Amino acid sequence: MRWIRSRKKLIRNKNSNRFGSTFPSLSPDQNAELSTSLTINEMMLREIFLNSSDIIFRSISSNPEVLIIYIDGLIDTTTLDKVMLTPNLFEETPSGLNATSISGQIIQKKLVAISQIKTVSTINEVTDGILKANIVLLVDGENKAIVADLKGFEKRGIEEPAAEVSIRGPRDGFTETLRINTSLIRRRIRSPKLKIESITIGQVSQTDVAIVYIDGIVSNTVLKEVRDRISRIEMDGVLESGFIEEFIEDAPWSPFPQIQNTERPDIVCASLLEGKVAILVDNTPFVLIVPMTFWTGLQAVEDYYERSIYTTFIRFVRYSLFNIALLLPSLYVALSTFHQQLIPTNLLISISNSREGVPFPTFVEALLMEFMFEGLREAGIRMPKAVGSAVSIVGALVIGQAAVQAGIVSAPVVIVVATTGIASFAIPRYNFGTAYRLLRFPMLILAGMLGLYGIISGVFLLIIHLLGLQSFGVPYMNPVVPSIPQGLKDVLLRAPRWSMTRRSALFSGKNKTRIPEGQQPISKQGKTDE
Amino acid sequence: MISLILSLTFVSGCWDNSEVNEIAIELAWGIDKAENKKIMISAQAILPMRISGGQESISGESKNKPFFVVSGNGMNTLDAVQQMQTKLSRQVFRGHRRVIVIGESMARQGVKEVFDTYTRDPNLKLRTDIFIVRGGTAKNFLEKSYPLENISALGVLGEYGQMGTPVEMGLLNFLHAATSDGACPVVPAIAIGMDTKSQDQDNQNEQTNSDKEGFRLAGAGIFNKDLKLVGYLNAEESRAMQWVTGNLNKLTVPATIPHEGGNVSIILYRMHSKIQPDIQSGKLKILVTLTGKGAIRENNTRLDLTQTNNISVVQNALEHHVEEAVLRTITKVQKKYGTDVFGFSSTIKRKNLTLWKSIRNDWEEEFREAEISVNANITVRRIGVTGPALQLKASEIEK
Repeated sequence: MRWIRSRKKLIRNKNSNRFGSTFPSLSPDQNAELSTSLTINEMMLREIFLNSSDIIFRSISSNPEVLIIYIDGLIDTTTLDKVMLTPNLFEETPSGLNATSISGQIIQKKLVAISQIKTVSTINEVTDGILKANIVLLVDGENKAIVADLKGFEKRGIEEPAAEVSIRGPRDGFTETLRINTSLIRRRIRSPKLKIESITIGQVSQTDVAIVYIDGIVSNTVLKEVRDRISRIEMDGVLESGFIEEFIEDAPWSPFPQIQNTERPDIVCASLLEGKVAILVDNTPFVLIVPMTFWTGLQAVEDYYERSIYTTFIRFVRYSLFNIALLLPSLYVALSTFHQQLIPTNLLISISNSREGVPFPTFVEALLMEFMFEGLREAGIRMPKAVGSAVSIVGALVIGQAAVQAGIVSAPVVIVVATTGIASFAIPRYNFGTAYRLLRFPMLILAGMLGLYGIISGVFLLIIHLLGLQSFGVPYMNPVVPSIPQGLKDVLLRAPRWSMTRRSALFSGKNKTRIPEGQQPISKQGKTDE
Repeated sequence: MISLILSLTFVSGCWDNSEVNEIAIELAWGIDKAENKKIMISAQAILPMRISGGQESISGESKNKPFFVVSGNGMNTLDAVQQMQTKLSRQVFRGHRRVIVIGESMARQGVKEVFDTYTRDPNLKLRTDIFIVRGGTAKNFLEKSYPLENISALGVLGEYGQMGTPVEMGLLNFLHAATSDGACPVVPAIAIGMDTKSQDQDNQNEQTNSDKEGFRLAGAGIFNKDLKLVGYLNAEESRAMQWVTGNLNKLTVPATIPHEGGNVSIILYRMHSKIQPDIQSGKLKILVTLTGKGAIRENNTRLDLTQTNNISVVQNALEHHVEEAVLRTITKVQKKYGTDVFGFSSTIKRKNLTLWKSIRNDWEEEFREAEISVNANITVRRIGVTGPALQLKASEIEK
């Protein structure tokens, strides 16, 4: 745990005022208590929300006078009308009694139809409440305000995640709303041990962030590390979980992602059950999962839904493809320019034939084509759907065929680049695949300069880097290095579920038993049960 | 500093790279004698454009050979290559060489002086086969086209492989034999042309001009300890020789069945040989045991092979035939050339070192005088799908 300790030293103790740190005084004295006078309160609040046309101040002249403040568009106005603005709401206030606190109580009783209600007493809490899509009720003669949850903003429904499609498995995906997302997790893990810790990050944006884990299964060191790192973040606004990822990752300059992200609640829940920690950020469907290992980058969600034999086969296909994605272009360049002896004679003849008259050296050719391929991919992503087909036509025709026919590039290079492209898309986690697409270029340059020697040096450097990499104190290459035999069941193969009995020894808490032993199905050999 | 290191990476490295279209790939290589004690090197360089350039060249007229032969003279091999290079726009690339052919006159003069470069140069591979052009020059051979293969030199490899001997071992075996104490190298021979009528003559000088295309295996050339060609074995003898040395994987043996007036053919596989040296009253005796299992694929006799006694008749006849043929070969080599091409010396050395030490100094004499007996042991494992030949009447079949 040396690394964790050394990390801790780095914590900046600049600001002990951690979460929900106050705005740098935007308005007069935010921490002020509410006054008993409604007029003063309203004045203060109107000054705070100066030039904010979406803030509605709705005063109801009843006895006592009531002021409702909310943000237009974030509030369920139908319910608001029904519950609060019905004419008889404030009529029943008994007069003659010591009204000041009782009025509050009664309103509170009336508001029973609203699920979440709390009473606050500072200006700060009031503004906070308004900004977080609540309605705030101020009653004349009271120095307390009522914050009632009436969220009713437009939100996207639960849809199948576009980036992570599966053939078998649940089809729901996270949405931009934190509460819906936590509910998706809660629906899958109905245990009081599932903990959802909320914090607010972003001094201006005030974004809700939730740390989700299962008590007892999670490793306390990892959990503590997550809390520490997240609490260290100070920034103006968090718009996506990527904002947080960059602050809490271990090696910011590594090409490999050390934090997994997903849109799928089933992946999050599976990870939680393994002892990992999920970080949910409001306003984005992408959830961060830590710690990540190298091998999770190569596992798809269906691996665990399909039968183990098939999955094992697919994993081997995937492992070969990811090597191809990294090495094929550089191998081609190295072999055809440095080590022609290693190419089978007939292949060499056909390569040499197709290179006849090509103006560029093989290395430049490969670099050019790889560059074009990346360009096509990038253009294809950004294109509006209507233009998308144009890109593929231009790509296939111009680059695939015309370039070869014109003798500008040779056919083998096109084949190599296309194979590499397909192979790189076979890596299930998109951001993990990008690491490989990136590394292809240095490898290509090494191969063009130094041949096989360069490739081998590159692979060695890569392995050295990977072995040193950690994700939240957990070695990136585990369970291969350090070797954990139990964990290998889910790396080289995908062992049947009944045989994967233990959780990871490196990043799970006290409760390491995943599945009790001895559940292998036994064939009855035709015998019938009595 | 960083830019220095970077520039170091960029300027270095590229010294030995070459694009595939800047090299002349040669697959076959010929060594010939030239005047003034020089040697002539010929190379069959391929023209990739003529080989796999798509449909238009496949219809290929035989006049446009997909290769051309270029040669150069020189004091030694590399000198000749340098001269050869003056005629080539692309660098000679020897890493893919599959075949080395040696002209007969060169072989008779001896190849001891020219063979060093084939193992010294790291760009060359050891897995190369060597052939002797019987009655011709290597250049002559390289210029021939071969109907089945684009690159004619690969045709000879195919022919050799079909004989049932391990390919790509030629150079290695040659060097093994050349460096060992007693053994003499033996190299398969090829003759130009596909007409086989004068094949069995030992000194076959001129080809009939009737067949200019193609070439055939024509036995094997025997070298003596000075790596000079001394003579040839014909095809049958060379197969017998390969069986004794244990380098044969398959062989078809035809044999006449005595008292039957017919013959059978067996295709042998799992062939082994065992050499047992012995010394009896001061005379070297060598017993060669050859074993093989096979399937009968032709039966031109009246025997019903489903009967076990008939099988043993056939087996005996086959064994007799093999013993005779092999013994004849060994005796021929023994008496005529006195070169141990069968690997007897290394077997003696391995099995009986003291005996070997006592005879190694006059091994050639011992080999000439040795009493050699051959014992064949052939097992018929399969007889095909019928017992007797189907065209026979029931009365003609011999049970």
